[in-house]
Amino acid sequence: MIRFLFSFSTVVLLLVGLSSASFAQMPPPADEVFRLQASRDGSGVVTLDWTIAPGTYLYRDSLKASDGGVPVSLALPDGVEKDDPNFGHVEVYHNHVEVALPQELGTDMLTVHYQGCAEQGICYPPAEKTIDLASLSISGSGNRLSAAAAPSSPWQTASPARPAALDTGIAETGPGETDTAESYLNGNVFWMTAGFLGFGLLLALTPCVFPLIPILSATLAGAGAKLSAGRGFFLSLSYVLAMATAYGLVGLVAGLSGANLQAALQSPWVLGLSAAVFVTLALGMFGLFELQLPSALASRLAGRGRGGSVAGAAVLGFGSALIVGPCVTPPLAAAMLYAINTGEAAKGAVALFALGLGMGLPLIAFGTFGARILPKSGPWLVAIRQAFGVVFLGVAVMLVARLLPPPAALALWGATAIGLAVFAGAFDRLSARSGWGKRAAKAGGLVAFIAGAVMLVGAAAGEGDPLRPLAFLAGTPVPQHQVAETQVTSLVAFDEALAGSRQTPVLVSFTADWCTICKSNEKIMAEPAIAARLQDVAMITVDVTRQNSEARAMMDRFSVVGPPTLFLVDRDGREVGNSRITGAITPETIAQNLSRAGA
Amino acid sequence: MKRRTFLAAVTLAAFAFAGCMPAMAQDIDVNAILHDPDAPEAGNPEGDVTIVAFLDYNCPFCKKSAPDLDRIVKEDGNIRLVYKDWPVLSEASVYGAQLALAASYQDKYEEVHHALMAVPGHKVTEERMLDAVHATDVDMQQLQNDVTGHHAEIAALLGRTMEQGDALGLVSTPTYLIGPMMTTTLDYDGFKETVAEARRRHAAGERVE
Repeated sequence: MIRFLFSFSTVVLLLVGLSSASFAQMPPPADEVFRLQASRDGSGVVTLDWTIAPGTYLYRDSLKASDGGVPVSLALPDGVEKDDPNFGHVEVYHNHVEVALPQELGTDMLTVHYQGCAEQGICYPPAEKTIDLASLSISGSGNRLSAAAAPSSPWQTASPARPAALDTGIAETGPGETDTAESYLNGNVFWMTAGFLGFGLLLALTPCVFPLIPILSATLAGAGAKLSAGRGFFLSLSYVLAMATAYGLVGLVAGLSGANLQAALQSPWVLGLSAAVFVTLALGMFGLFELQLPSALASRLAGRGRGGSVAGAAVLGFGSALIVGPCVTPPLAAAMLYAINTGEAAKGAVALFALGLGMGLPLIAFGTFGARILPKSGPWLVAIRQAFGVVFLGVAVMLVARLLPPPAALALWGATAIGLAVFAGAFDRLSARSGWGKRAAKAGGLVAFIAGAVMLVGAAAGEGDPLRPLAFLAGTPVPQHQVAETQVTSLVAFDEALAGSRQTPVLVSFTADWCTICKSNEKIMAEPAIAARLQDVAMITVDVTRQNSEARAMMDRFSVVGPPTLFLVDRDGREVGNSRITGAITPETIAQNLSRAGA
Repeated sequence: MKRRTFLAAVTLAAFAFAGCMPAMAQDIDVNAILHDPDAPEAGNPEGDVTIVAFLDYNCPFCKKSAPDLDRIVKEDGNIRLVYKDWPVLSEASVYGAQLALAASYQDKYEEVHHALMAVPGHKVTEERMLDAVHATDVDMQQLQNDVTGHHAEIAALLGRTMEQGDALGLVSTPTYLIGPMMTTTLDYDGFKETVAEARRRHAAGERVE
């Protein structure tokens, strides 16, 4: 379901206006007040160093370090004694404190906790930082996300950070790409970049990236005559670099603003607009119209030489990243949320740039070596361009299909196939002299027509799978969800649903309308064998289609980087260890998980 | 080529437009902050100024300003006070908040609240909190029943408060919303001045409700 509605409160906010000024000075966020740094001296001793802003202090007894839950004893210097009726007797540090770590640590990752207050009269929630002892980089992972405050609080002095959270008792995340992605991010920059390049290469093998191939091919085909391998290389390189830059920018924006741009790019508006653009591109490919830019602009964009425009390829690459990228990609989500979480915008940007580059490397190879196969000119080129037009139409339908109920999407596919059939000449007359090309086109067109008609029939029968539009005829009863499933979109509703469920453990599933893998996961869970297992398991589906503060709060609470994520929770809302699956499920993985949890 | 370039530029423009969207998705539910039916209240229910107090039972400054807050609410007589148990400083704070909120089912929230606020320090343990509650005239058996029986409602209320704190971008305790203003620890004079300022702003039409 698509929700365009903005909450009533937003309207109230607009009415209240932005005029009220601050009366009392509100405190800056904890990370601006207490700055933690780590350094290593010549003999290899690592020193933690806190800079404490004037007027604030750290509690001596709050400084703690642990290694995977095992406390590490710290040689804390004496603090200043502070005796206050409200505090009791405490020792605090002002301005600066240094603590040398013991030399023999059996770990690379050290977790450090600290907490303090400001004399002004406030106390900060405990901070938790993770220090990579190899690179000495510090990250705030383990805390809840620092989502930005609403931009216009009616109480004016809101500052853009959130308190570190309590231990929510969430177990470690289970196996999955996400963990790997996150551990790469905590390491040093070289390995992180290499890791994300690798993830990108893996992603290049998924269907998500396939639509990029015709887009790039179209760019190359547009280059016309004399497309050499070198020219193909440069065009595809600029296309891929632009795509990687687009991802890098997403990481940068995420890190700087704390906003999850990824989710915004999956909003109905963006999907609809992108689909419209692809339809326009397709019409252009069919030669329905010729768009001309003002000559000054055109000559600037057209690049040097006659072999196609580098700038044009770059612009198209940039756009492609935004259109095709948002297929559910756990490493992408992990990198973005990491950037949001730690505010390390640069690291997030580099990671996502590397990811985009990795995804694009096969495309560069394709552009360089495949360039030779493309026709140089003549009627063949026209045919090729029309074929790409069809692909663009397909991309548009794919984007819009994410917004539609499955039968409507199937009907759209059917209509597209029929349109294609007509244009391919399915109903044109052949004469005895017709060449084999025309005959083949007619044959293809007729196949497309029948496929389209079948899809329309399937859609009318309520089917939604373009590959099995007539599944309803097979006699297999459409498996009904016997699962006691509750859909929630807020933490409050979640807690209520959890409190209201009699059975334990409860299967929690994060999903969103735009999440295609979630849909295939649902199909797997509806398979009779799994559905039978799930019959005795209560299920809470958390819908994060709308990325509002509620959705973020729920994702924070369970450290979910994005849908699809499935895990089991016990009665108290604690995650059952090792029960998490991020990404696509198989009947085996879900069954194993249920067995492990004794469900 | 030119045509494609142009179309690609159109695509980019579309995304630039879309970039504006996340800002609109944020929301602060003013009504829920001011009028949560489950949040304990004190003072004058019809008061012309509302103070919303985000407090933690391990927050020394909350404890320091608690007597002054009580005094201004009592002496002014026209202030509505909304308690937001916002346990962000320690695990024990959550425990304390649960005790206090459970006590509201026997109309003893304020007693327990004051008892917990009267325990000094920033490291009050669950045991010490329980001792402090024992010293009040709360029916402990009833309290135990309410802690278990109303577990879900209490958890939901705490969850809502956490979300409200997040939406407001609160970074530390205590935080007081006084009329249209947001502030931290104040002494009696500070509260008095701020309440007066809130009334001036109300008169000028600046109201949050």
